[in-house]
Amino acid sequence: MTPNLPEPKLGAAQPVSPTAAPAPAAPVPPKPAVAAAPPSPTPAQPAPAPAPVLPNPLPHAPLPFKGVDYAAKGYHADATVTPDQVVFAAELLDKEGLSLDTITGVDWMAEGQMEVVYDYFHPAKALRVVVRTRIPRDNPEIPTIQKVFPGANWHERETHDFFGIKFLGHPNLTPFLLPEDATYHPLRKDFTQC
Amino acid sequence: MEAQDDSAQALKDCAPFVKFAKLDELLALGRANSLWPLTFGLACCAIEMMAAGASRFDLARFGAEVFRPSPRQADLMIIAGTVNKKMAAAVKTLYDQMPEPKWVIAMGNCAISGGPFVFPGQYAVIEGVDKLFPVDVYIPGCPPRPEALIEGLLKLEEKLTGKRRWPIVKAE
Amino acid sequence: MLVKDQLKTEIAADGSPRETFVINLGPQHPATHGVLRVKMTMDGEYVVRAEPVCGYIHRMQEKMGENRTYAQFLPNTSRIDYLSALTYTHGFVGAVERALKLQVPPRAEYIRVITSELNRISSHLVWWGAFLLDLGGFTPLLYAFDDREKILDLLEGITGSRLTYSYFRIGGLYNDIDDTFINGTRAFVAQMRPRLKMYRSLVTDNIILRKRLIDIGPITEEMCRKYGATGPVIRGSGVPYDVRKVEPYSVYSDLDFVVPTFEEGDSMARYLVRMEEMAQSLRIIEQGLDKLPAGPVMAEKVPRVLKLPAGDYCYAVEAARGRFAVRIVSDNKEIPYRVKLRTPSLSNLSLFEEASAGMLLPDALALMGSLDLVIPDIDR
Repeated sequence: MTPNLPEPKLGAAQPVSPTAAPAPAAPVPPKPAVAAAPPSPTPAQPAPAPAPVLPNPLPHAPLPFKGVDYAAKGYHADATVTPDQVVFAAELLDKEGLSLDTITGVDWMAEGQMEVVYDYFHPAKALRVVVRTRIPRDNPEIPTIQKVFPGANWHERETHDFFGIKFLGHPNLTPFLLPEDATYHPLRKDFTQC
Repeated sequence: MEAQDDSAQALKDCAPFVKFAKLDELLALGRANSLWPLTFGLACCAIEMMAAGASRFDLARFGAEVFRPSPRQADLMIIAGTVNKKMAAAVKTLYDQMPEPKWVIAMGNCAISGGPFVFPGQYAVIEGVDKLFPVDVYIPGCPPRPEALIEGLLKLEEKLTGKRRWPIVKAE
Repeated sequence: MLVKDQLKTEIAADGSPRETFVINLGPQHPATHGVLRVKMTMDGEYVVRAEPVCGYIHRMQEKMGENRTYAQFLPNTSRIDYLSALTYTHGFVGAVERALKLQVPPRAEYIRVITSELNRISSHLVWWGAFLLDLGGFTPLLYAFDDREKILDLLEGITGSRLTYSYFRIGGLYNDIDDTFINGTRAFVAQMRPRLKMYRSLVTDNIILRKRLIDIGPITEEMCRKYGATGPVIRGSGVPYDVRKVEPYSVYSDLDFVVPTFEEGDSMARYLVRMEEMAQSLRIIEQGLDKLPAGPVMAEKVPRVLKLPAGDYCYAVEAARGRFAVRIVSDNKEIPYRVKLRTPSLSNLSLFEEASAGMLLPDALALMGSLDLVIPDIDR
């Protein structure tokens, strides 16, 4: 009378070694990675050894993704985009089948900028992609990716709570973790008291 | 004279059957042995509170097993966890909704003084729940063991009745 | 008692008028497992809209990351999700070790895995007991806590703590394990397997539980991906995503275990994923004890003053609730510049608003229980 409980699909995932470069379906010859200029060394120190150029895991993507050493940093690809490109990046990675991991804000007060870092992960293979962008600190505005990834709704509210970054087009940019009447942004580097 | 001797003798004779006590003491005994806590676990200490109510440590032995979800039916509020500025209004409302006589146990370092979350520049934590309302027993620990919660309960019972019903455990 | 002007008349999708009212679930509520407030717009017994309001246990963990050195932040990591405290500490020390390129000795890695899996079982037991409590059964809670006490005894013997262990250190462990722990763990594994069978026949096969959970709260794979849901939520929707398999860390690639996945996407599927995971964790613990190498438990050259090179470093682990990831941004100082904690409960709860629309209130609570939330994990 009682229906049989479903049996688990055990062992369905093939463990993918993170060191193997995850390739898209059609084998594409790896394009040379867009080399980022290494930071210019101060005169007192010897020049740092150039980082090994790793293949770009998303070679067909029209954004400047760089391959990153996973064992050293914890992610596979990194791209620095302009603030108006974040929605395009989100749509691109959505089509690739990635999922939104988190949105981080970083307050680079000394440089007068705020950095917004979008982390994405793939639910089927080892592919962690980082998209970062910088916005001016005194008027931090960036378009929302909430229409592409509804999960970004809360991440953006939290980033707004902590940094005061305005996500343009967000339907409900009210305090999420702070009290409803909070007007302070605690993770800014010049925050002293509320 | 004879009447007094008679009554003294009568008291002695019926001592095994008839007990006299002050009503206050009876009420205090009743209240102490059946404290009904409010389910108010906020954070990590709540798990140790649940463990204290579970089978190994068993708060039911002390009459305090009946955790009431509604403050109207509870007389003991065990603040188990950190109280936030956002949560403070709700905690105060719950305290006000509890009928008298009521008691408060501050369980864990966060409820006593903000715990490990106090640092210069902190903006969210109330440093100790006794800034909101009076606390009867403080149980330190992060989180305190379930035995510590039981000891706190026994201390509260001692506060109510003046007597401790379980001897203090001495380390051997 | 509701007064007339608290009822709002709306026009439903099919053109019929309906009266809705807003009730608060929480922040003090036995079913919310912590201080979560859900503003529910109800149409009688049906949920029109459930809007979670968080922040009632916001404890400034990320701000403390900027005020503490790397070693001083370790106790915080246990208190983010106190039920699987060791896995969260693993995430943080893993990020620091990755940045400093520290080689953790294999014995320490195996002990980390064994204790993390014990912690996973104890977390799932608490979830199981509390979930059944939500659905109306009090007895499984007592059984679950009884088993859990055995795990806590084992872990207390080596770490000194029952709930918020700060056992892992940057570079290894604080304390080696002894024979009491090894023999006790083997005995625990031996007695836990029949207990899981008993739970299956007593609770899982119970007709009332099946009626409460089967086909309740369907969550699609696409919804999981859009919201970033991980852990048993995504594995109950047919996607075998487990950080231990997809991005293996520590010594998980040397251990043989499977990732239980169920296709249905309802609350029963998520329930079964966790019950199976407990069995798989027992397998991992046994293998870990069999393969445990001798050696030191602390890396050799751990600098006294920890300064990570400038840049950002990430590390992800599979906690009991899903994917927990740490992103440390360093500017070459002793204290981090930014510590970002990606917690699974936040992503898992963010789909609750969409998933619970139109459900009956008890079913919505069953869905929320099957998501396995720990609220300080959301609020940090």
